[in-house]
Amino acid sequence: MPVSKEYLVKRIILLVFVIFGVLFLTFIITRLIPARPELLWAGPHATMEQIEKARKQLHLDQPLYIQFILYLQDFLTGNWGISWRTKAPVLTDVLSTLTATLELVIIAFLIAFITGIPVGVLAALKRYNWIDDLVRIITVIGASMPVFWLALIAQLVFGNWLGLLPSAKRADEWITIVTGFKSITGFYLIDSMLQGNLPVFIDALRRVILPAFVLAAYPFCLTARMTRAVMIEVLSEQHVRSLIAWGLPQRAILFKYCLKNTLVPVIASLGLSFGYTIIGAFMVELVFVWPGIGFYAAMSLLSFDYPAVIGCVITVAIFYCIVNTIVDLVHSIIDPRVRL
Amino acid sequence: MSRFRQQRIILSLIIRNPISLVSLLIVACFVFLGISAPLTVPYPEDAWGLTYNVEKRFLSPSLEHPFGTDALGRDVFSRVLLGSSFSLVIAIGVIGLALFIGIPIGVVAGYYGGRIGTLLMRITDMFLAFPPLLLAIVLAATLGRGLLNLIIALAISWWPWYARLIYVQTNTVKTMPYIDAAKIAGIPGAKIIFRHVIPNALTPTLVQAALDMGSAILEAAGLSFIGVGVKPPTPEWGLLVSEGWQSINYAWWIVFFPGLAIMITVLGFNLLADALRESADPRLRRTILMRLGVKQ
Repeated sequence: MPVSKEYLVKRIILLVFVIFGVLFLTFIITRLIPARPELLWAGPHATMEQIEKARKQLHLDQPLYIQFILYLQDFLTGNWGISWRTKAPVLTDVLSTLTATLELVIIAFLIAFITGIPVGVLAALKRYNWIDDLVRIITVIGASMPVFWLALIAQLVFGNWLGLLPSAKRADEWITIVTGFKSITGFYLIDSMLQGNLPVFIDALRRVILPAFVLAAYPFCLTARMTRAVMIEVLSEQHVRSLIAWGLPQRAILFKYCLKNTLVPVIASLGLSFGYTIIGAFMVELVFVWPGIGFYAAMSLLSFDYPAVIGCVITVAIFYCIVNTIVDLVHSIIDPRVRL
Repeated sequence: MSRFRQQRIILSLIIRNPISLVSLLIVACFVFLGISAPLTVPYPEDAWGLTYNVEKRFLSPSLEHPFGTDALGRDVFSRVLLGSSFSLVIAIGVIGLALFIGIPIGVVAGYYGGRIGTLLMRITDMFLAFPPLLLAIVLAATLGRGLLNLIIALAISWWPWYARLIYVQTNTVKTMPYIDAAKIAGIPGAKIIFRHVIPNALTPTLVQAALDMGSAILEAAGLSFIGVGVKPPTPEWGLLVSEGWQSINYAWWIVFFPGLAIMITVLGFNLLADALRESADPRLRRTILMRLGVKQ
């Protein structure tokens, strides 16, 4: 069942509006709330000249509506300002960090889904059993833990005390230099595998385990709880009762009829759990020195590098909107009712 | 079933279930500690971060200092205890301010509908287009560090959820016969809103808000950890974790205990939210009642 062209166009137009909204709100926050935006923009140790330059860059000498138009123009032409911490254009910095975050977030999501869905199904099947209570307690605890704390404790226990896994950075510099590893796409695992570079692949894999599991904790809990709730709902439906009456084997009922219906709302909730995960990545990357957009944003926040922070915020927000649109489209493919 | 009886059943269900009872106790404890901590901390000067005890740096947990001491020789237990006051203030501040913004917008949008309603809800949607916490991050970065700024930043990213919730409720209440009756009786719109719509539409939002306090504490701690929350030496739990980070390899207790405090508090609120949700859903309630052997 392909998506109808009409629905696709409708969603894309909506996406453009939402991104416009994001830019508008960011404009208001960055230009209207501070008394003198140029001071924030130029950084804490700026000279008078730099402040004057920031003023020009932000077009603060123009009327407000022209400021907004110029702001949109700057955004579209990639003129996002210069990070005073790295001395590089913000857009370049942000783009160079994206793949590292994507690799981490995708792996975390895979872990969360591969473990979360079966656990949720199990809890639903064993309802009012100790297994259900256990799953409930674990998932609530997981959702209550500050992710930065979990990251620090995991790093301390598995990295330093037990010494099982390396707990910082994406790859060992020494190994990459010796083996002559060059990342083309930015995804270390894929690149090293394609190039047949086993040492780097193993090293990168070992380094991704801890941050990915820590980052997966929250989406895992969300997925497991959601799957459990929906599965219970589905199991109590009339058509499932008729299937049982027809004498179908339990496994067939579960996997052929129930699981598919359960997955629809779970996939629909993927957008929000992506949102939580990418914000969690800000803290996890900071702790594990993972050179992604979260690490870049957190470092920029800690050193009051305002243009860089805004660049990251806009990028992440737009990314989030796009993911939500894709999730909606996928949702409409697997659940035709949405298109109505 | 009358509303009163329903509330009593919900309450009795919570007390009967051991997990829910524990969650209720955690929340009660947190509120009590939060109120009493400024008066009862064992080392008040350490707690407020006014001291530097060179000879007491990095002491591991002992009877005198149950959670050990930090890099400046301050008692971690006192700081964590006082942290509960700050978390309580943050939670109440954020939720209160978010309700204060969200309720009027949601009610007006729901009651009047039409063009104003659409406009207000579009503005709400604009805020919701940001992933959770991201808007708070950019606001906090713009406003600068500080307790009040942190509360404002979180509240501004928080109110859309309540505006939406109360918008939906208002839309249901609006169609009730008593609202029509009030309109026919010639009561002005503002009075109908305050006397009839808000009291009837508020309950779900208020319950949700009370239970969101856990998430507010969690997110505030996250903001403090990445450096846009409260200023040091405020004993806020997230900041305490970040302060202990540098010395985590030889003094794990500085990081461990504030994080544990966050986890237990948030856990209390989340479990309570779970219990309320289960017992407020009539279908689930019936099965729980049957399981507990209560006759209806």
